[in-house]
Amino acid sequence: MSSSLPGVEQVLAALRRVADPEAGVDVVALGLIYGVDIGDHGIRIAMTTTSPACPTGSLMLEEARAAVATLVPATVPVEVVRVWEPPWEPDRMSADAKKKLGW
Amino acid sequence: MVTAGKDADLPPLGRAPLLALGFVALVFGVLGGLWRLGWAPPLPGTEPATFHGALMAAAFFGTVIGLERAAAYGRWPAYLGPLCAGVGGVATAWGAPHIFSASLLVGASAVLAAVTFAFHRRQPAPHLLLLLVGALCGVAGNLLWLAGFPASEVMGAWAGFLVLTIVGERLELSRLRRPSAGALKLLAVSTVLYLVGAVALPLHWKTGTAVIGVAMVGLALWLSFNDIARRNLRHHGLMRFTAVCLVGGYAWLGLGGLLLPFAAPAGPLYDAALHAVFLGFVFAMVFGHAPIIFPAVLRVAVPYTPLFYAHVALLNATLAVRIAGDLLDRVAWRAWGGMGNAVALALFLLMTVGSVIRARRPAAA
Repeated sequence: MSSSLPGVEQVLAALRRVADPEAGVDVVALGLIYGVDIGDHGIRIAMTTTSPACPTGSLMLEEARAAVATLVPATVPVEVVRVWEPPWEPDRMSADAKKKLGW
Repeated sequence: MVTAGKDADLPPLGRAPLLALGFVALVFGVLGGLWRLGWAPPLPGTEPATFHGALMAAAFFGTVIGLERAAAYGRWPAYLGPLCAGVGGVATAWGAPHIFSASLLVGASAVLAAVTFAFHRRQPAPHLLLLLVGALCGVAGNLLWLAGFPASEVMGAWAGFLVLTIVGERLELSRLRRPSAGALKLLAVSTVLYLVGAVALPLHWKTGTAVIGVAMVGLALWLSFNDIARRNLRHHGLMRFTAVCLVGGYAWLGLGGLLLPFAAPAGPLYDAALHAVFLGFVFAMVFGHAPIIFPAVLRVAVPYTPLFYAHVALLNATLAVRIAGDLLDRVAWRAWGGMGNAVALALFLLMTVGSVIRARRPAAA
């Protein structure tokens, strides 16, 4: 199965299509992706959100799963696990994202 | 699959009836408001007019904010909050015994505070603390309402529920722009001032309104200079639309704060100050975020269209007419402005539902 799986860069490219609707910055640039694990079990992504109190975070998790699922056949499991540790900090954003937001 | 929590969440289809209950409170609250302005809308009794403030601030916003937070929490007990607020609103409009309807509103705000506390415990942060303070203002307001205080004295706590909740949400996003230490101090001082004013209000009207007014101006300044909205005005589409709504809302919050210290517990200035805040600021936030939050809560797409500017423009223009009528003592301006506000809210609902239907329709070949 592994030979038909995408690489980490391809998964990250798919995740870059998912953006925070108000910040206008994608989830990779925001530093919300904590890990990408690709193996015989399928694709497992560890992702956080900027705040636990906003329902948009849950929607972005679903959008991230859907974006990555387009890379593989339906038989390959794609899982997005929401993680809280370590808490997201603005410093996790990419240099480009910081520049875009006026740092 | 997306793994988010151990306990069962309420599916989006189950959340829709809760939102519908909230909209019942909104419809009766608005009709009651029109009645107070001299119109004669069809009403089952005098309750929607008498309890206009409770229907709007505690029942309608208790439902929608409770629903938003419950969807983020992702476990079914959190939905008891919006359920209580919605049923409490219907009970209020239908003239159920006060102890019944007001207790439901207290229960709703207590669930919201508990859920917000859980967020803060999971990940302590200043914006979550502010959301918790906002939720506790809701509890305090509803307890005062249950105890029989008049709406004018409860208003400080109810407005605190909404204003501080919104500021907490904006603080979360403002972290993306690294607010300065001075800006955070202004926010902290304004928040503490607000709480002092809300406590003082039932004890001494003039002191309470003066302190709340200053705090609102401080919060409006903080929002104007630190929120990402001002920066987003340069973007296009939904980002700019949301930013336009918010930046306009901050101006109304500031105006409400300037007018409040001169208001009596009823009358034109009271109408002007409160509706600058509740309609100009709070509903601007609703309009600006509906295309973002509806999809998150109900899992329905609300595609942005420039037509959305119609209800925003109508609300702002008619609110200006209403407040001008209040300040110049022109009763007809106030009444027609208020009617325009109601039409703007109805147009918002139509635009939103229309957008959902358009998104579900298969694309033309």
